[in-house]
Order: sequence, then C-alpha cells, then structure tokens
Amino acid sequence: MADSRGSHLSVVLDLSPSQWHLSAENPPTNPFPLSLSSFLSQLLTFLNAHIASKHENSLAVFGAFPRKSILLYASSNTPTSDDTMDANWFPPFRQVDFTVVRRITEELDSLEGASEDEAPTALVGALTKALCYVNRIMQPPAQAIAKPSDKVDLSTLPEPHILILSVSPDLATSYIPIMNAIFSAQKLKVMIDVCQIYGEDSVFLQQAAHLTGGSYILLERRDALLQYLIMCFLSPQSIRQTLSVPTQDRIDFRAACFCHKNIVDIGFICSVCLSIFCQPVPVCSTCRTKFPMKTLQRLNASRPASANVSNRPSPSPAQSRPAVTSTNGDTPRSHGLSELPSTSSINAHTRTASNGTKSS
Amino acid sequence: MSSSRAARPTSVPDTKPNSYKPHPLIPFLQARSQTVLTRLYQKPSACLSIFRLLAPLERQLVMNLLWLEAPINLSTMGSWVVPECKKEYTEAVANLGRLHIVPNSPVKLGLNSTFKTSFRQALTGGGTSGSFGIPAEPDEKRPSISIETLDSYALERWETILHYMVSSGSATKPSSGALFLLQRSGLMASYHGSQSQITSTGFQFLLHSPHDQLWDLLLQYLDMSDDRQMDLVDSLHFFFMLSTMELGKEYSTENLTTTQKTLLEDLRDYGLVWQRRPSSKRFSPTRLATTLTSSSPPLPTTTGVTSGPQEGFVVLETNYRLYAYTDNPLQTAVLNLFVSLKYRFPNLVVGSVTRDSVRKALLNGITADQIISYLTTHAHPQMRKNNPLIPVTVQDQIRLWELEKNRLKSRDGFLYNGFQAQGDYELVLTYAKQLDVVLWENAKKKAFFASLEGHQNIKGFIERRGQGGK
Amino acid sequence: MPPRRDADFMDVDSDSDVSLPEDVRGKGKGKAKAGRKKDKGKGKAKDTQPYTWEASYTRSWETVQEDEAGSLQSAVEDWLARGRRKRLLNPATPIRRTIIRHLMLLLDLSSAMLDRDMRPTRFDLTLQYAREFVAEWFDQNPLGQIGVVGMRAGVGERVGEMSGNPQEVLGYLKERHKLEPTGDPSLQNAIEMARSSMSHLPTHSSREIVIIYGSLTTCDPGNIHETLETCMKDRIRISVVALAAEMKVCREMCDKTGGHFAVAMNEGHFKDVLFELVPPPAQHASAPRIISNSAGTGTGSTPADLIMMGFPTRLPDASPPSLCVCHSDLRSDGFLCPRCLAKVCDVPTDCDICGLMIVSSPHLARSYHHLFPVKQYEAVMSVEADAALACHACARPFPTAISATVTDGLSPWARYQCPECKQDYCSDCDIFVHDVIHCCPGCGK
Repeated sequence: MADSRGSHLSVVLDLSPSQWHLSAENPPTNPFPLSLSSFLSQLLTFLNAHIASKHENSLAVFGAFPRKSILLYASSNTPTSDDTMDANWFPPFRQVDFTVVRRITEELDSLEGASEDEAPTALVGALTKALCYVNRIMQPPAQAIAKPSDKVDLSTLPEPHILILSVSPDLATSYIPIMNAIFSAQKLKVMIDVCQIYGEDSVFLQQAAHLTGGSYILLERRDALLQYLIMCFLSPQSIRQTLSVPTQDRIDFRAACFCHKNIVDIGFICSVCLSIFCQPVPVCSTCRTKFPMKTLQRLNASRPASANVSNRPSPSPAQSRPAVTSTNGDTPRSHGLSELPSTSSINAHTRTASNGTKSS
Repeated sequence: MSSSRAARPTSVPDTKPNSYKPHPLIPFLQARSQTVLTRLYQKPSACLSIFRLLAPLERQLVMNLLWLEAPINLSTMGSWVVPECKKEYTEAVANLGRLHIVPNSPVKLGLNSTFKTSFRQALTGGGTSGSFGIPAEPDEKRPSISIETLDSYALERWETILHYMVSSGSATKPSSGALFLLQRSGLMASYHGSQSQITSTGFQFLLHSPHDQLWDLLLQYLDMSDDRQMDLVDSLHFFFMLSTMELGKEYSTENLTTTQKTLLEDLRDYGLVWQRRPSSKRFSPTRLATTLTSSSPPLPTTTGVTSGPQEGFVVLETNYRLYAYTDNPLQTAVLNLFVSLKYRFPNLVVGSVTRDSVRKALLNGITADQIISYLTTHAHPQMRKNNPLIPVTVQDQIRLWELEKNRLKSRDGFLYNGFQAQGDYELVLTYAKQLDVVLWENAKKKAFFASLEGHQNIKGFIERRGQGGK
Repeated sequence: MPPRRDADFMDVDSDSDVSLPEDVRGKGKGKAKAGRKKDKGKGKAKDTQPYTWEASYTRSWETVQEDEAGSLQSAVEDWLARGRRKRLLNPATPIRRTIIRHLMLLLDLSSAMLDRDMRPTRFDLTLQYAREFVAEWFDQNPLGQIGVVGMRAGVGERVGEMSGNPQEVLGYLKERHKLEPTGDPSLQNAIEMARSSMSHLPTHSSREIVIIYGSLTTCDPGNIHETLETCMKDRIRISVVALAAEMKVCREMCDKTGGHFAVAMNEGHFKDVLFELVPPPAQHASAPRIISNSAGTGTGSTPADLIMMGFPTRLPDASPPSLCVCHSDLRSDGFLCPRCLAKVCDVPTDCDICGLMIVSSPHLARSYHHLFPVKQYEAVMSVEADAALACHACARPFPTAISATVTDGLSPWARYQCPECKQDYCSDCDIFVHDVIHCCPGCGK
C-alpha cells in the first residue's frame, strides 16, 4: 500500500546572518518582519510535524552558513546527547529541537567577529550534501553488495524529498552547481521544494522546484510561515495527487553567463561547448574556439535592440546584495523552544494563505 | 498500519491511496462515545498516537487545521482538493468526524478543541501531563537493560503464546491472564472442560502479521476492560504512552493509576513490557510496545529464535514444493497448518502444498487468501525477484481447492414426502412454489424440500387441506 | 532445489549464462553469400548452432573469487578499484564535444532480422535497445534531434521525421506491427533518404547516421560508393552496429566518415556497442575536422559558431489561454520568446516570429559537467589523529580499522580526499559526486 513507506525529508536552511537581520527589520520597509528565532520555533514545529506523521519518517537538517555547510541533524545518526528525559515531551521531538538549536547557536557564535563583509552562504554545498545523504539512505550499505542474499526491498526504502528554505538572492556563481544538483535530484527521483522566505524570487531555485516536480513559494506573509510550511511542504508525493499544492505561475528559464555571471534572457552560445556569454565574444573562453568574424559582426549589429534589454526585473547579484551593517548586534542566538508560533496571526491570514498561495 | 499485511508493490498493484485499509483500532475508537474520546484526547501522547494511525490524507487534513484558531469554511479547504479526488476527501472528513476529531458541521471545518490543545502540546513540548512516561531515576547499582535482552524477552513471551495456540495446549503454557484472553477472544476454546483447542479464528489469527496479531489481542483486551472494572480511557492512555516511549529506557511506575498498574502486569505477560521483578518500581517497554503505532511489519521479533533470517524464509516452487529456511518451531508449526512437511534439517524444512494439506487448513477455517497472503509476506528475498511472486499455478490451485470445498451449499429446511396422492403432492408443491421456498423437488418420489421460512405456511396449508378434506 | 550459492545471484543483468561460440557462428555467416539469403537463418542454425540449450555454459559465478573466509568482499573491492582507476583515466580537463547533434537512426527491417541468434529475435532486441538508446541519447544530448529510417523490401522507409522530442521518437519505435521485417535491405536507398533529410541543417551541428544492420547483403539501385562520397562531402558521420558479421562496405563507410564500426557478439555486447554512440563525439574545434581532412574532402572552415539563443519564460497551466504561434492552437501553457514575446508550445525550438532559437537553460546545463569536471579525490593512505570521524557529505561514519586487503587505488581507510577543500569522503560519495552530482559538497563547485 502506498502508505507503507516512510518518507524522508531533508531540509536545507539558508542561515545567512545578514539576510536574517534584514528579514527581522521593522515594518516600514518590511511589512512582515520575521526574526531568526521565531523562524526557528516555527520550523521546529514543522519538523516535529513531519516526524509525528509516521513512525518511519526520517529527517535530516542541513545548514548553509557563510562559506560552509553543516549537517545539523540526521535521524539515522545515533543520538550523542544524554539529555535527561522529559515526561512531557516525545523523545524524538526533543532530540531534534535540541540538536538543531544547539548546532546553529554554536555555528553562529563562531561566526561572530568574522570579517564585516559576509561571504555568501554555501547553499550549494548544503544541497549537495543533502543529495549525498539521500543517495546514502536510498542505497543499501556497501556490504549488501557483497552479500546479495540480503534483502534489498524497494518497498522499505523511504520516499525522499528535499525542502530548501532560502533567504539569500541568487548567486550567479552557483548556477552550474545548482543545475548539476537538479539533474542528480531528477536521477534520484527526489522532489525539491523551495520556499523563498525573504527577498526576491530566486530564478535558480524556481527551476529546481519545477524540474523536480516540487513546489516553489515566494513567501509573502512571513507571519504565517508555519501554515505555509505545513500546507505546502509537509505532504509526501503520494498525497499531493489528492491535495494539490501550489505550483509556480511563471518560471524563468534564464541562465547565468560564464563571462560576467550576469543572469541573461538572451545569450550567445558557443556551438561547441554550449558556454553562455552575455555579449558576442571572438573566442570562447571555455574551449578556446575561435568564432568567425562574420557572425560576430552580424550578432553585434542585432544586439543593441534586444540582448540586454530585459523586460523582466533581473536581480543582478550586484544590486540586490544588501549592504551589511551590523551582523553582530542582532544575530539571534538564544531561542525559546517553548515559544509557540504566533497562532493568532496565522489565523487572521488563513484566507490569504490558502487562497493566496493556491494558484492553480 | 493496516498495510503491515502483505501488499508489497511487487505483488500487489493497488498502490492507489484509496485502497487504504484503516487500522483496526480506528473502527474501535469510532464506536466509542464522544465523552470517552474527549477524555482520551486530553493526553498529548494519545493524540500523537491516534494521529499516526490515521490515513495519510486524514493526517494532512489534521495538520492543515491544527494551527488555525477558528474553523474555516468547508469550501475553502475543498478548493485544495484535486477534483478527481473529491470522494477520498469527503471520506476522510467523515472519518475524522466519526472520531470526533473534527466536529460534524455542514459548513465549517475545525478541530475538536481538546484534541487541538493536546496535539499542539505534543508537537511543541511543554505542559504537565507527563503523558510520554516519567523516566526512572538512573540506578547506579543495576545498569539499564540492553535492547537485545529486551528483544529476546519480548520474542520469548510472544512466541510462547503463539506456540501454545499452534500446539493446542501441549506446549509450555503461557500465564493464566494470557490464557484467559485467548479463550475469551475465541481464538481457543475448551470443550467439556478438556484441553483447550484452537478454533478456526485462531488459525486465521496465526497467519496474520505479528503487528495485526498484537492489535487483535489488545482490542480483545480492551473489550474485556469493562467486565474487569478497568477504565477504558486509562488503558488506552497507557497503550499510547508505551507506543511513544523510547526503547531501552527505563520508566517509573509512580504516576500510574490502579488500572494502569493492573495493565502493566498483563502486558508483562504478553511481552510488551519488561520488569526486573514483579514488584519493581520501574519498567521498560519492549519493541512490541514501541512499534505499536508503526506500520512497519519488520518487528525484529518476527525472526527465528536463533539467528534466523531477517524477513522472508519461504521459497515456493511451481511444483508445489516449499522450502522454508527456518529452525523456529513456531514458524514450522504454522507452516504445518497448510503444508505437508516432508523433511526437517537443522535450518531447513521441506514440504509440499497438497490438496489434502490445503483441505485440512480450509476445514480449520483458514481461507485460501490467507494462505496466499502468508506465503507472500514470508517469501524469501529470492522469491521477490519473481513476478508474480507466488507461482500462478500454485496460487490458482489453492483457490480452486477452496472452491471445490464450496460445491455444497447447506440450507436449513424441511423435506416433505409421503404424500398419499399425486394430486396432494402437486397442490402443496404449487402452493410452496408460490411462496418461493422450494429448493428441490422430485415428482417421482413425491417429495420436495423447502426452506425453513416456508415451513409454517406449508404446514398450515397442509393442515387446512386435511381438515377441509374431512 | 538446494540452497543456492549466493554468487549465483550476482548476475542479474542481460548478460546471459549461455554464450554462443562466436567463431563458429561468424564463419557460418561469412560463407552465407547473397545466393543463400533465402532461409539462411534456419539453415545455418541447423548445421552450426543447433539450440541454445546445447551451447556451453559460462559459469559466470566462477569468475567471482571468494577469499579464504568465503567472503566476496575482496571481489567487490576489486571491482570498485577498477571503476576508480578507470575514472582516473578520464581527462580532468574539459573536453570539446559537439553537443548540438542530429542523428538518423537506420534500422534494418529485412528478413535477416528475424534470426533468433539473439534472443528473443534480432528484431525485438533491436527495437528494445533502440528505444533505450533513444531515451539515453536525449538525456545526454537534450538539444539533439533524431529521425528514424527503416530498410526493408529494397527501399528506405521513413519511419519518423527528425524530432527533438524523445516521446515522439519513442512513439515511432513503439509500433512494432508497423515495422515487421520483410525482404532485403538497401543501404544506399536508406542513406540517401537520411542524407536528404539532413541536408538543410546548419553547419555548426553534427550530422550522424547510426545503422543497426543485421543482413549480410544490400540491394542497391546504384553505386553505393558514390553515396559514400556525397556523405563525406556533407560531413555525415556514419556508424554501424552489425549483428551478423563484418561487411567491407560497412567498414569502409565508417572509416571514411569517421564513424564507429562494431560487430555485436551477443546481447550484452550489442547494447554496449550501441551505447558507446550515446556520448557526444569528442572533437577539437581548433583543429577542425581531422576526419574530413584525412578523407580529403575537408572544406577547411571551422564548424564552430556563436549562436544567439533566448531563454523563455514558462506560462503556468492556469494562465488565460491564447493562440500559440507554432500551431495556432488555443492553449494556456507555453513558453514566451524573450525577444518578441511570442508564445510557443515547446522548447527547444526556433521562434516562428523572430527566428531566435529558444532553449530552456536546463537543456544547456545538462552538458556542462563535461566542461567543469570535479577534481578526482585522492585516496587517503594514512589518517591523522584529528581526522574527521564521518564522511563530509553523507555523514556516514568511517571505519575505524584498516581494511585488510588493500587494492591499488583504494584507500585502506575508505577515505577519499578532495584536493581542493581537504575534506574526506566515503567511497560511495566519491562515486556519486563524480558520476552523478558533478559538484564537490565541500568546495561547492
């Protein structure tokens, strides 16, 4: 039966301190502020909801910090903590909550005092690790090859799915790795869901969700995060046939050029290696192919009218990268675990949540 | 959940969500009154466990509603449903309504407030209910028990019960509580004070997966609770608490109610709970208990006593030969129900499925479907490469044998014969035919057979005729 | 049935236990000249290769060596190591490959294909492998196009037009009853037909013909060498997979056009040689067309070019329906050309309004891993005290003891280190990163 498989959820968290700082700012510029701590309390509730749904469900949480990515929690790893137990708390929940919060706090603490200009987060690394992890749990361990009599029963393997919670804008340098990750996700039949919590639409992550059959949401009402998470991302693939989840309305299939890392909608492609350039170049920088002069002249002539005049708002990385002012002051560190998500505000916006996100 | 029985994608094509069979506990709960259920929902652990037993769609619905402060319009939620799946959705809502998780209302959809509060508490932690079990203080003198010991304890207890059933009373007797439960649930019966014998339900029971067996027994147990002056809600709370406990940890018996303490003793007999001494102030749940709300068939205890194979052990060939790699007496005994065993080796039992052996099983009340599903669940990993998993010839033949048995249909009724004259016979027969009760007739012998319902009328008719004739 | 040996179950692949003595069959085929074409299959089967069950068994399980303890561990490691070494041979520098490919698949549908020397029949097997080939080919060459031509009853028969849609091409190959083999094949007719359907293609794309040929004869209206000359002129690369035996004309076609010639020895080998044609042929744009030069027909101009392409926006299924420019159908989903905002149904395509080539960027990106391969990880030979306890990617704990048998190229600690980020990975992740993801989790590139 469809229900006999557990589902595996890998969550990739974008934990860029500066972006979270911006996200927590007050109303005039930012109608729905969401601080990292309240985000975490809602996220943890969501994670608990995933574990609660089925005994077999498994979970892995990856954090993308500036310049490095870390596995924050994985249910297959034996618990190391010898926390005292609590009669009021389901043990697995407690373990997730404590481990995730502890690891994040540790990492953010170690970031403190780092240089002012913050490095971009290693979202790609975290995503790649999530895929490696999925690959590991989807595969019988290496010994099983040696002992073919061991059962390799597909029906006991979990149904994997990855959720990316991003707050940073697209990073043009990560275009190729993200594309590679998407293709490997397709091969592994992993669905990638994306929730862009803060900032502009992410072109690359949109494509990731579209190509793997997941759903992409640009969060408008950040105060209703938990409701969004539960309604859109909790269900495994099998339920989504019944209870529809929002799909994207427009998907941008733009790419980043190799020369300036600009995101372009009309590009110039080397016919040999398919490198993308934002303007006609005489020699391909990747494969050293020389292009005929005739073509160059022809393309240059036709270019000004069309090439870089984009009718879509293109968030070029340079302009949308926010200036980092104070990373240290407001970096949220302590996190009230018992703090409930703001249910009243969720209630107030339920209609928005269910109507607004439903687009198909 | 229910899926623990057979139904692997390799063998069963119905992977559609609508083929979902509810967990046996759900109908039981649905039959309870609202007050009982509301009391039940007061404990976070109970809410969590019941939530896990729901169907996937129902779970998602509960989750969607959980964090809403006020009920929402039915149509709002309905707009999330894919039009083709409206039926499943309505069914899911109705199911939740019967469980009183979602109060029945034609326009609004919202969670029962008790359930909502408790379940939120379960997810976020906190509260003072202590429903996830109070851990025992660490004891320096005695190290806590290892998981292997717990597993082997649970296995030993559980198989004692099953083995006793198979052997029809000749094997080691389990405790009196367990015996009583077996009798009470109709799995075994003793006629005229003799040794108790396994009944046909008992045979069917043996072919179920351990998970289903466990729930079968527990439901019987709950049915009895009223007679024994045990509080049903307290018992359920205790089951659910056990199911959320951590394997290998020790818990204190302190805050348990009297009902629950009695329960603890019984469950110890069944192997769900381990205690060092009967009077001990602490207990550990075994794997049987902690996987109560799991749908996974692989209870580690389904394996043989000694390093038996992990899951499947049966190889069935198209020539009806059956090889079972096992040394477990219980498994052998279960196979013996429908296989005529030929040889036994230290780790291998060989037998064949014959007409006689299957007929024997059928006579015991086991159905062909049960035999096939047992063979499917316990098929050796090598068999899983075959499609279909069980050879078609064998599968069909078993079903044919079953049909063969059903050639005769028995109906209660009366035979009317000894009519004096052909005219009398025909008259009565016509009358009986008008009533549409004639099952068989033979004009030569002047006899016919009519069903029970018609007897009074026919009798009356004959008597009236007799009187009128005089 | 006795308990079977584990090793017995290792071979689940298409490689059969039964192998036919190749030399014998080859000879039989070689002698079968044009005069014997009637009933050739059956006659030959009688005298040289009676029945498959009389063929000798390859005891495939005996090729797997057990060690003293009866474990297969060493055999598995050996196999892993071989894979690793093979990968190390792959050049770490980007290779240039022709990625915009056009290919005509020529299927032999002559009566020779009914021969049963490959099970179930040559024809069925060919159809099956052709379908797999097409799927795999489109996966690796998303911008390419495939057309199908059949050869039967002395003529070339267009089975399917050139198309970039894998479903469409698979559709051509699905209808088995329409492809029932009969008569004699004609190489020349089929090649001419394929050539004419590729003549309009732009210079920067590759033109290829892949022939799956089961017959040993060809029945041509003219001189096939003239056709060969024109193919060389048009720079069409011809590759042949022969199912029977080598034919001189086939070999010559492949050699002269720079293609690949192979004779399939058995079912498994058939698949292998066919799939060798899947990856885009490597070529250096700066040293243009060695092949055509050597053949003496090179035109000297480089085929490389800079192409302008547009990346479209996809309209959702729920958007208001409008007419598309390609079929004038009213539909709601589609793609918008970035230059003229015309709506087209499917990509990749050329915009019907402004002529811009529209591709979705994932199509291009699929081949990028050829350009930026991940650096090979180095096997860790000694472990320092503060080394990581678990794989950096999948968090699987590393073994604490050294593996007893150390094979060349494998790390005794089962750790492989990225030369760039200096993180340790387990062997599974090493394979996965290099074969599938093409992106190192540590450095993120």
